[in-house]
Formats: sequence, structure tokens, C-alpha cells
Amino acid sequence: MSKLVEKRTVDMQVIGEWVEPQSRVLDLGCGRGELMAYLVQAKQVAATGVDLDFGRISACVARGLSAYQGDMTEFMRAFPDRHFDRIICSRTVHELNDPAGVVLEALRVGSTVTVGFVNHGFWKNRLDGLLRGRKVRNAVYTTSWHESRPANPLSIADFEDFCREKSIRVARRAHLLGDWRTPCRFLPNLFAGYALYDLARA
Amino acid sequence: MTDDVQATPSPVSARRPLAADDVGIVQAKDFTHPDTFTFTSGQSIQGFTLRYETYGALNATRDNAVLVCHALSGDHHCAGWHAETDAKPGWWNNLIGPGKAVDTRRFFVICANVLGGCQGSTGPSSVDPGTGKPYGLRFPFVTIRDMVRAQKLLLDHLGIVELHAVIGGSMGGMTAMLFAIDYPAFTKRQIIMASTANESAQAIAFNEVGRQAIMQDPAWNNGDYAREGGPRVGLAIARMMAHITYLSDAGMDRKFGRRKRESAGGESYTFDAQFEVESYLRHQGQSFINRFDANSYLYITRAIDQFDPARAFGSLEKAFAPVQAESLVVGFTSDWLFPPEQNRSIALALLRAGKRASYAELSTDLGHDSFLLESSDLYALVRGFLERSEAYVFDFAI
Repeated sequence: MSKLVEKRTVDMQVIGEWVEPQSRVLDLGCGRGELMAYLVQAKQVAATGVDLDFGRISACVARGLSAYQGDMTEFMRAFPDRHFDRIICSRTVHELNDPAGVVLEALRVGSTVTVGFVNHGFWKNRLDGLLRGRKVRNAVYTTSWHESRPANPLSIADFEDFCREKSIRVARRAHLLGDWRTPCRFLPNLFAGYALYDLARA
Repeated sequence: MTDDVQATPSPVSARRPLAADDVGIVQAKDFTHPDTFTFTSGQSIQGFTLRYETYGALNATRDNAVLVCHALSGDHHCAGWHAETDAKPGWWNNLIGPGKAVDTRRFFVICANVLGGCQGSTGPSSVDPGTGKPYGLRFPFVTIRDMVRAQKLLLDHLGIVELHAVIGGSMGGMTAMLFAIDYPAFTKRQIIMASTANESAQAIAFNEVGRQAIMQDPAWNNGDYAREGGPRVGLAIARMMAHITYLSDAGMDRKFGRRKRESAGGESYTFDAQFEVESYLRHQGQSFINRFDANSYLYITRAIDQFDPARAFGSLEKAFAPVQAESLVVGFTSDWLFPPEQNRSIALALLRAGKRASYAELSTDLGHDSFLLESSDLYALVRGFLERSEAYVFDFAI
């Protein structure tokens, strides 16, 4: 397994620990269904994914998963309050046009919302930006600016501010060091490479 | 459904019957149900016949059957060829065959002409055994549910214990949907393409204009006409208009543009067909009247208009409550007759009802007829859905 793939599985394992068995899970930006397949296998969840891309939906369908091609906010609007036990937004939030809108709608449709993101406040990212004076590149964001999609990188501090501002209750948080494995207990905005949050309505 | 989706013969449809991935020469069979059949309307007939075709072989456990459901003007001949000299194979030959998306090496594929149809199944043009004359308007009103019940009797007759899948586009999607609702334990999977859970006013309006074209033709004679006669003008006009609704603006532009027929020359001041699109539609109308019955057109469009499980059950979620099938709904961006939004609604209602359902959307410019599209993406999607194993496949590929 490559380093990136290994990191991806660590991300999955943390989410897998948080997910209740047999719960109803929605994966926003489900890609080709890796996380859903893992959660179905490990926790026997009833999973549905949303993604914009036909090929990814087709891949989910081929591995036996439910997936919906379309806009995630419009999808969520079609469901009653708390229809899902958990809504997962793993490594997607930085690509959204309206991240606040998505998180708030997810908090309506889901009892719990899990958000996972790469911490751009991580010291290596700061140093990379400082020393190279260019768009931050790392193991996850490998491309230069002209090969990259528009992204809205955020840090742990940014996300904590957001939750406070919107009165979102943080039920659980996991800050992991640069290896995405070891818990980070000191100055997470500086030393954590990856962050996971479980959110609930206040 | 149109007779030909592509303007020019495509590599697939041009292939001859002996191609390796073709089901080859096929023959229709007739199933006759001898007992009284009572329609949703309460009216009944003394038995009926369904004409059908099958491809592939039923396995020992009798659970590898895939039922294909046709659209308004389609029929039981969905794959293979009736003769080597046929100009065209069955209407879904690109999808069905050995090694194709619906793989006949693996599945036993069944397709029947609907009850109320005119391609060999009992319908208004059939002879009423009571009078010795065609039923005409004495034929009971048909609903999609009646079509489904009749096909279930055929499947029972064939000894099918469960459907691996039911697949349909347009009206065929409605048929599939009702199979999953009415026979939940029997129907394991459903694929609904370019369909709707209830037609919009616009779609009903188009059907009504088609019906009026038929009924205003004096030769319709209140549905009482000889087999070879009838409202040929009205039916051709109905078909021409309906045909436009199966295509899209962009698709027609690509296919015809403003091109003129070569024979039209420089003469512009006549009402003869000058533009290619005109002669195309005239041809579609003419070829349709030679194979379709006007009364069947009235009955089947009426059945489509009245299909509304949300109304019948209180809501679409309630309608889908008994469904056990896994569902795949496919919409097509350029379909303005049963647009993506209406296909999304089906998938969303299934999900709200707690069912396993997927929705995928293909970008095409072929309009409503896109479900007949030759597309490797569509094939992969259908194959993936039909052939996925029960166990979840998990790997770490990104």
C-alpha cells in the first residue's frame, strides 16, 4: 500500500470506530465507495452515498452500494429531519461551494455529522508555504496550482471558530499527528495533520 | 420509442445474427392463459395470449430470470433477429446478448408484448371469442398493473421462482416499478430508465393530442374498423408528434439540422417534404401504421397517463413500502418527456422509504430515447448492478 492509501485507511478506521453498528449512514462525496464498503463490512451499516460523477456512482453500484448522482444539498433537502443516524463528510468539506450550508443541512437530516479534513494549519504546511512561497504541496495535495481544482483549505482553528460561530456542538474530536495515526494532544492546529469531528445540534 | 436511435447504422446494429455477442436467430412464442382475466377496471375477458421471446437458459434453481419491459410502441422482440435478412435486430440488441451488459450466458432473459398491445398479445385488435369480431373499444381498459399481472402469469407458467431483475425504459420503467411493488419477494432487482412515477401535464397533453389525431380521423369509426384499415392518417400523425417528444432539440439539430432533401432541389414554394426532418417524420409515421394498431395506441397511452402509484397508495414512499428489490434508476440529461428530475424522484422516494436505491445520470443529446443509447458507460452501470455479488467487495483501491 502506498503511503497515501495507508493514510486513507487510518481515516476510515477512526470513522469506523465512531459509527454505530447497523446505523443508517450517508456519505457526502462518497467517491467510488471505499469508506461505505468498509463501514458496511465492519459495522453492517445501511449506507447511501452522494457524488457528482457518473463513473464513481457506477463504481459504487458495481460493488453493491447505494449511491445517488447529484448535488448533496439538494439530496439532503429531499429527506425529513434526522432521517440518517450519521452523515459523513470525509475530505470533502474543502471542495464545497457552501460548506456552512452543507454542514447545517447535514445537521438537520442527520443525528450526528462527522467531518474529516486535512489540517492546513499543520506545521509542515505552514513551513512549506513560508519557505517555498508557493501553493502548499504535501502527500495529499500533490499537484501545483494549475493542475488543481479550486479548493478551500481550512485549519483546525478555522473549523473550531466555525462551530463556535454557528453554535454547533462538538460531540467528539480526533486530532492526529502527521502520520494520521498517533493522537495529537498538544497544540493541534500546529501539530495535527488530520482532524475528525463529530458534530451535533446544540 | 423510436425505430432507430442513430441516424446511420451503428456498428452494433449492423452486426449480423452470427456475431459472437449476438443471441442470433430467435423465435417468438405464445403463452395462452385460458381462464377469465379480470382487469383493474372490473371488466374481464375470457383468457388472453401474450407473445414473448426468451434468450439464454433458465438455471436449475430457476432464479436467473431477467424480465425486460418494453415502452409504448415496443414489443417482445428485444434482442436477436427473426431472420438473417432482417433489416434490424430486436430493439435492445445492443444491451442484451452473450457477453453484453445483460449477459444471456448468465441470465434467462424474457420479454413479452404487453396485454393491450398489438404485436401478438391480446389487445383491442384481437378477435373477441364472444362475437367473432375484433374487440375494438369493447376491450377492457388496461392499466400498467394489468400488464404486470398478465406478465406474472407468464412467468409463473415458465416456472420462474424469482426475478433476478426486471428492467425497463419509459413505460417499461413503470412496469418494472409495479413488479417491485406488487411482487416484492419475487422481484430481487429493478432497473428503471427514463421513466416517471407520474407523468407531467405536458406528457399527458402530448398523449392526448395523439389520441385526438386518431379519434378525429373518420376512419377510426369509434374504434370499429377492419384490421388492415382504420385511422391510418390519425395514427401516423400521432406517431410523428410523439416521435418529436422522444428526441431532443440538440439531437435533432445534430441529426438533421436544416438540411434539405436532395430531391427537393431549389423548389421552396411547395408543401412537399423539403427538409430531411420532415421526410424522416413522415417515414416514421408511415412505417408505424404498418405495424401498430390505433386502438392499442389509445389504450396504452391511457394506461401510461393513469399510472400514479403515489395517488394509488397515498404517497410514493407508501407505494414503495413493500419493495424488497434493490433499485437502480437512470435518468438522461436531454430527456424532456420523462426528465431527470422525475427519475430522481423515484430514487429519492425509494431511499426515503428505507430501500436500497441508486440514481445515475447520463449526459446525452438523444432525448427520451437515450435509454436505447449505445454507451459503454450505460453498459458498465447495468452490468455492474446485475452482476455484483451479494457480498460486499472491499478493497483499498483509491
